[in-house]
Amino acid sequence: MAEDLMTDTHKTDTQKGRVEIDDVVIRFKGRQGPVTALARTSHVLEPGTFTALIGPSGCGKSTLMNAIAGFVKPSEGSLRLDGKPIAGPSPEVGVIFQQYALFPWFTALNNVRYGLKQFGLPQREEIDRARAALAEVGLEAHADKYPQQLSGGMKQRVAIARTFAVGPKVLLMDEPFGALDAQTRLVMHELLLNIWRKHRATVLFVTHDVDEALLLSDHVQVMSQAPGRLIRHYHLTQQRPRAFSRSGSDLLEIRDEILDLLHPKTDLADSL
Amino acid sequence: MAVTDMSEDPTKARTSPRIAPFLSQGAKWGAKAGLPLISFAFILGIWALVGASGMVKEAIFPAPWSVWSATVEMWQNGTLQTDLAKSLGRAGVGFGIGATLGVALGLLTGRVALVRTLLNPFLNLLRPIPAIALVPVAIVWFGIGEGSKYFVVSYTVFLTVWFNTHHGMEYVPETYLRASRSLGASRMREFLTVVLPAAAPHIFAGIRLGVALAFLSLVAAELSGASSGIGFRLQEARQYVRTDRMFSLLIILGILGAVADLIVHAIGKKLVHWEQG
Repeated sequence: MAEDLMTDTHKTDTQKGRVEIDDVVIRFKGRQGPVTALARTSHVLEPGTFTALIGPSGCGKSTLMNAIAGFVKPSEGSLRLDGKPIAGPSPEVGVIFQQYALFPWFTALNNVRYGLKQFGLPQREEIDRARAALAEVGLEAHADKYPQQLSGGMKQRVAIARTFAVGPKVLLMDEPFGALDAQTRLVMHELLLNIWRKHRATVLFVTHDVDEALLLSDHVQVMSQAPGRLIRHYHLTQQRPRAFSRSGSDLLEIRDEILDLLHPKTDLADSL
Repeated sequence: MAVTDMSEDPTKARTSPRIAPFLSQGAKWGAKAGLPLISFAFILGIWALVGASGMVKEAIFPAPWSVWSATVEMWQNGTLQTDLAKSLGRAGVGFGIGATLGVALGLLTGRVALVRTLLNPFLNLLRPIPAIALVPVAIVWFGIGEGSKYFVVSYTVFLTVWFNTHHGMEYVPETYLRASRSLGASRMREFLTVVLPAAAPHIFAGIRLGVALAFLSLVAAELSGASSGIGFRLQEARQYVRTDRMFSLLIILGILGAVADLIVHAIGKKLVHWEQG
């Protein structure tokens, strides 16, 4: 799988998606004054890379993601996509939510069409493109079902189809498979990697599952306890599909290190 | 890859394991429709027994057959038809005006901060004022004609529908709006195809309440200052101590309200089809 080698050399590609996080601090109003959700953070997501952001719950990883999505304004610093400041939500930055955020009053097909409407396509073409997007996630047979009629994994596949159909440069995923059972999650990993290979968006994948981060991404960023900051970076070059049993011991070593960072040994000893 | 999460078909309707073996689907529906009938038959039976026993004076508590003949009497002399037509017309017009204004203003106060700031405190102050307290003012303003009835009914319906619509708009889930915006939707399309449907269950709850309140406030308006309508006829029956007619009219009111509620509920279920279960 050659694309693992392309990740850092592909900056000249026309379809960019370079995210610059420049001295960003995010504070929220709390009951006792402002609370820092994200400590000063600087980082660059290179075009076409797959970065997992991992950290303890409440550490601000979702806050950082929401800022890149344009949902939350940074209190300090700036965020740029391909040099342009991120001023608010835009179809250039796609978002996959943990709770799917499908519109229950639309069928799967019409959920996908919702994003396509902005292009003002002829109806025939719009439907064809939406069907193609559903086919990509293996749901062409379920196009006319409503979200309530689909399982959790199927709902998330519709959401992935809906987001990719718009052609985002950046894809943000907030614990997208957190609500799914382990087996469905494995299927979704494979599906996501396949689609990502085709579309080549810059992915930021928020998770608290270390294994998921290691199996999927080029880069793993570990965040500290709140107020969150990036404390460790791993660059993974192992070929995909990865498995802990197959790929030698280095993944397992990294996994142990990250687990140590997230749950220091003393805590574990106390809880036992 | 579709195998893993399709093993259970989520579209399959759940059937209660305890009842399912004993009743077929059809019989279950029959039982569902029949249950209210059992209740009505039971009450009617007791009522008939009390009537036949002669324990209670007819003038105080008429027997079912007296009520029935009073109904037939009102039908034959034509008052029942005109009263029904008048009352339904008033309730319908009043409800139409009130519900339309309520939804429209609810969408505005839910969406536009300036309108909300200007109107919400005032509207909340109006809400506790009962319809019947408004009747004297309505008569001064609109006379004892149709105008005052329309006013009282539409005012009552308006406040309830406004309140529910406004709250429906407030509880549109944030993730829907976020998803919509990062999918590049215009504000107009977001409003029409995301905000409205998301608020629709609340709007329909308000409309359903509005229907019930339309009948309530209608009778309040007709009890004073009217020369036709179910409410007026009730008032007239009191003057002649015709309890049989009163019972008849009350039962008719109950049936009208229940039927109207069923219709609105059925329409709501059709339009807000995604809200079941």
